[in-house]
Amino acid sequence: MYQYSEQDHQLLLERVEQFRGQVQRRLKGQLSEDEFKHQRLRNGLYLQLHAYMLRVAIPYGLLSAEQMRTLAHIARKYDKGYGHFSTRQNIQYNWPKLEDVPNILDDLAAVEMHAIQTSGNCIRNTTSDPLAGVARDEVEDPRPYCELIRQWSTFHPEFNFLPRKFKIAVTGAVGDRAAVAVHDIGLKLIQGPDGENGFEVYVGGGLGRTPMIGKLIRKYLPKEDMLTYLEAILRVYNQLGRRDNLYKARIKILVHETGEEKFRKLIEAEWQQIKATGLYLREQDIERIKGFFKDPDYQELPDTDADFENLLLSDPEFGRWADKNIDQHKQSGYRIVYLSLKSVNQPPGDVTADQMDAIADLADKYSLGQIRTTHRQNLVLSDVQLKDLVPLWQELKALDLATPNYNHLTDIISCPGLDFCALATARSIPISQAITERFDNYDFINDLGDLSINISGCINACGHHHVANIGILGVNKKGEEVYQLTLGGSAREDASIGKIIGPAFGADQIVDAIGDVLGVYLENREDPEETFLTAYRRLGQAPFKEKLYG
Amino acid sequence: MALQVYTASLLKEGLVAYLCLEDGASSWTSDIRGATAGDGDLLETLKIAAEKAERDNLIIAPYVVDVLEAENGWKATTKREQIRADGPTIALPRDASAASTTDEGRKAA
Repeated sequence: MYQYSEQDHQLLLERVEQFRGQVQRRLKGQLSEDEFKHQRLRNGLYLQLHAYMLRVAIPYGLLSAEQMRTLAHIARKYDKGYGHFSTRQNIQYNWPKLEDVPNILDDLAAVEMHAIQTSGNCIRNTTSDPLAGVARDEVEDPRPYCELIRQWSTFHPEFNFLPRKFKIAVTGAVGDRAAVAVHDIGLKLIQGPDGENGFEVYVGGGLGRTPMIGKLIRKYLPKEDMLTYLEAILRVYNQLGRRDNLYKARIKILVHETGEEKFRKLIEAEWQQIKATGLYLREQDIERIKGFFKDPDYQELPDTDADFENLLLSDPEFGRWADKNIDQHKQSGYRIVYLSLKSVNQPPGDVTADQMDAIADLADKYSLGQIRTTHRQNLVLSDVQLKDLVPLWQELKALDLATPNYNHLTDIISCPGLDFCALATARSIPISQAITERFDNYDFINDLGDLSINISGCINACGHHHVANIGILGVNKKGEEVYQLTLGGSAREDASIGKIIGPAFGADQIVDAIGDVLGVYLENREDPEETFLTAYRRLGQAPFKEKLYG
Repeated sequence: MALQVYTASLLKEGLVAYLCLEDGASSWTSDIRGATAGDGDLLETLKIAAEKAERDNLIIAPYVVDVLEAENGWKATTKREQIRADGPTIALPRDASAASTTDEGRKAA
């Protein structure tokens, strides 16, 4: 993974000291809250429903074991002993004290981490495929490009006060595990007509109150032009984006109102002026960054292991976990392991300090010392040898991190909702827990197959409900929490926005409603291979509506 | 019409606080049940005290919350404010070992 240069370290330390001074002046009353608010937000510090909340960036979801131990230490020393992994592959602490935050940032800086640009109208943490570099369906590892974007976007003076926040995702695989279609910019590495790899460029995707799928603005962009083209897009957005209306300020609205073709021309015109500037990526620039993401020294191993295969046959519990939470690796003899943060016992995405420390130890022991975070709020150990799967499973089970549900019914994305968030209008975690408790049955989950449920506690859609096969949106109706259902969304390569099925359900009705939706699917699917989404797209809303509303 | 209490976040900790007036002295409590509720002139007095506390950098973002009298004191009328007063409605994740509350404790354990 990327290692900070001396300059990077210096930059971070200066930033921490700058914020320490700002905090001290705020506590002494030398800065008003209005003056300080922008400073704290630029350092990832929000004021939420119960307390401050600190959002720490995890660049493209990649963590070292040492970094994970520091996150555990922060949870233990400065917070309430846990952290929450978010849908942007970051981690959030819900209870830090203002006076402690500079020390937290100091601890983070010591392991090359920070909370810069995790809030505010700037370019946020670039997200990516949690299987980057190890996936079998990968065209090219996206992480070097994510890192180039990170370096370009950090403290970019021109893009520090954009009309609104700006999110970029990059994938290098055929399967989209980074939800690139619902980002302000989504980059997808593809093989170009000349055999060279480059990018498909999607612009104007997003969720929130106006969900939109990104438009394919450029079918092929040479890699060398990545930063100049991004710069051109941001320049056009910065000049023309709506600053007069908060709800129309995202680039998706600009693309929509301008029209795809005209927007494309604006980008091209801007690009022509800047494409030969210093942001043009020379081969050696790309190769230098690629050097940080070289394949480790994988051992030459057979793709079979007797202990693994014996236990698969003899222990159904292990078999269930292996079936759901293990994926193929590009290297023979290795596997990718998903650590489910969706047990029945903890809110989605939450991890205790002890669990974090244990995960760090497991990463060191079994997976070359690295951990990835996913936008579905789980973790990944990306390089586990086949022979280590059995002991790893045993240790994960003891940690309650082996729930066999990856990409299945109870692998629910949930925003913090009204239990924590100042913007939320309804609770989401209790609903996710009620669904998980009701359907905590492996055979049922297995029979349903690939399925996503996402829950948001307000229209801002941090729980990505629009792009779930079954989406749940909590709203406040005359003082009561009620829940709208949307069906048919997808965040993958076949991205789509779910449609509202009808009037909302009460909190005491929504789990039954989910049961009804699942029942319609099971009754109407052509065969067990037909997924919920495929069946819904074939059947349409009618049978679901009929069952839910009569 | 419901009575109202003043609430805010404590500057240092960020935690929820409610304004309490007693014998002309103001203080901030984490317990809504012990807050001073009022309307009319009393609410105006509470407002002046809240604004002073904000100027004194004790609290940030004060605002009023509607309350009704409950068995043990005041209770907010909206779900949002009830959750804000009582804390999250879910159990927070917690390590089993009490020793886990410090790095030293964990190492010792």
